[in-house]
Amino acid sequence: MTIFLQSLLSGVLIGGAYALIGVGLTIIFGVMRIINFAHGDLVMLGMYASYFLFTLGNVDPFVSIVFVFPLLFLFGAILQKTVINKVLNALPQNQILLTIGIGLILSNTMMLLFTSDYRIISTSYSSGSFRLGEISVSTPLLLSFVITAAVTAILYWFLLKTDTGQAIRATAQDRDAAQLMGVNVKRMSVLATGIGAGLAAVAGSLISPTYYIFPQVGQPFTLKAFVIVVLGGMGSVMGATVGGVLIGATESLAGAYISSGLKDLVVYVLFLLILLFKPAGLFGKSRV
Amino acid sequence: MKRFLSLLAVCLFLAPSLALAQVKIGVINSMTGPQAPIGENLTNGIKFAEEDLAAKGIKVQLIWEDDTGKPQVGLSAMDKLATRDNVVGVVGAYTSAVTNAVAKKAEQYKMPLVNPVASKEEITRQGYKYVFRVSATTGDYAAILLDMATTLGKPKTIAILSENTDFGVSGAKSARDYADKKGIKVVFEEAYSPGSPDYRSTLVKVKGANPDIMFMVSYVADAITLMRQSRELQLTPMAFLGAGAGFSTDKFASEKNISNAVFSSTQWTPDVSWPGSKAFGDRYQKRFGKTPTYHAANAYISMMIMGEVAAKAGGDREKVAAGLRAGAWDGLFGPVKFVDFDGYQNQNKHQMLVEQVQDGKYFTVWPQALQSGKAIWPFPGWK
Repeated sequence: MTIFLQSLLSGVLIGGAYALIGVGLTIIFGVMRIINFAHGDLVMLGMYASYFLFTLGNVDPFVSIVFVFPLLFLFGAILQKTVINKVLNALPQNQILLTIGIGLILSNTMMLLFTSDYRIISTSYSSGSFRLGEISVSTPLLLSFVITAAVTAILYWFLLKTDTGQAIRATAQDRDAAQLMGVNVKRMSVLATGIGAGLAAVAGSLISPTYYIFPQVGQPFTLKAFVIVVLGGMGSVMGATVGGVLIGATESLAGAYISSGLKDLVVYVLFLLILLFKPAGLFGKSRV
Repeated sequence: MKRFLSLLAVCLFLAPSLALAQVKIGVINSMTGPQAPIGENLTNGIKFAEEDLAAKGIKVQLIWEDDTGKPQVGLSAMDKLATRDNVVGVVGAYTSAVTNAVAKKAEQYKMPLVNPVASKEEITRQGYKYVFRVSATTGDYAAILLDMATTLGKPKTIAILSENTDFGVSGAKSARDYADKKGIKVVFEEAYSPGSPDYRSTLVKVKGANPDIMFMVSYVADAITLMRQSRELQLTPMAFLGAGAGFSTDKFASEKNISNAVFSSTQWTPDVSWPGSKAFGDRYQKRFGKTPTYHAANAYISMMIMGEVAAKAGGDREKVAAGLRAGAWDGLFGPVKFVDFDGYQNQNKHQMLVEQVQDGKYFTVWPQALQSGKAIWPFPGWK
């Protein structure tokens, strides 16, 4: 029982960060119908931003998100305006190649600038924990989960209650109709990419105190985010949130009960099963 | 026409002597990709060897190939070196997975290959005639650690945790075999996929098994994650034993609250009493601003040996292989000789060392004859 609770808890907590990465990817996809294969590299940029804020400016990685989000929001927005916007109506394979290319450029530029050395953020709480009965709760993981929940809540409020948020959702639902209703869809695309990039970077900042940082760190996260988004339903923010937590918990439980070497296998089997019975994903509406 | 022919004759006559003046040696290493942080140590070690060979009057021309940590890239690098560049010998690669693939290819081309660091046992156990290994094997990694553990304490149970790569699985198997031999019961064994941010579910199971000693085979980053999460879960065995690169880097040592009293088996340390070790460490520190890992010393000595032998043999691969088989060397890596024993061919019998992190610094603690500090045993608990 202890093993079950312990694994479930750490899985759900780490799933929070996955969810944040997935939500960013799904918003970008929803508004522009482009899968951003550079998403993991945006996570990596967030990690590096936090690392340098921490080592040079002594800013706690959890506090650094206040700077990291606007920074990467700007970066994402510029990326959309200058590059991604050009391929909005291009063939899907061209869009894929473009985003993969952006990812490669990002990771290799970072390698050129900062070498491939592993970097580690050591905060006072990096390996801290407290006990809750039989199970131990990781302090940094719990903190990051709480922040994730807060960020997600703000995002939901933004998307549901504000005019801009509603315009983004309208664009995601039907780009042409939204444009006919007077929504500035070009601006929404820029906003969505900015938000997506910002969220990915925040997730990076939140993971950074317990993980390590190197230029290629992003690639596994791209794949993970992609699985989460497809699992939850392409373009569904709710789906990505649930999908992230689900993947985190599944990985952890599979690690505990089967073997940690096989946990990816379990995740992908689950993924295929869900797609088999619900091809549009958990919260996806099939589009015709 | 006559003039052309005589010119040709002169060229043909000169060609071998030109080849003698400069020997072409290939290098395969992980210069980019996830293994690059360690690959850098090999690169730097080889650069030192290039300089020292030049000082001895041996001019080597190195052809550098990057395998990016992938066996298939390593294979095409070997193809290129053997056919297009026509080198007389190759030093490399870094990881066991790449080296194992490259070794097979080297044997096909009859290309002398000196393997500096890859330690998977099978690499020199397949009857290859052209593959020479300076590095110790994973069996040696496990043996020295468990020898030390059984001398210092009386561990009865062991948990073995390794990454699911060639190196990790081979290391875990060696540890299991040696533990059986020593009468230590294996109470937990698992191979994890490297790079995950969360090993807690695995470590909880380790905690449940309550082993006397914990044996881990990991590369750089996972070593830190594993120790951090062990601290989180308050795992307190008699000792944490690390076999592999991950536990013997400066980065790991500098994380004082998780690295203290962790043992790590290694092939070389700057403070070991072999001749030239300290000078090599200082030179490296001065030039690159970092402490070298054992990989740098392995790569250095491998290139020195290859360079010297290749220069003597001229451009002939067979002669290079014969020279490697016949020679014996001594230096900052201790004595080196390629011999056949226990099913190995052309394998160097290397004296392994154990180092321990004590307050952020590495000390060579085993074997006692070579030690620079006393071992802390048992694990004193988390700070």
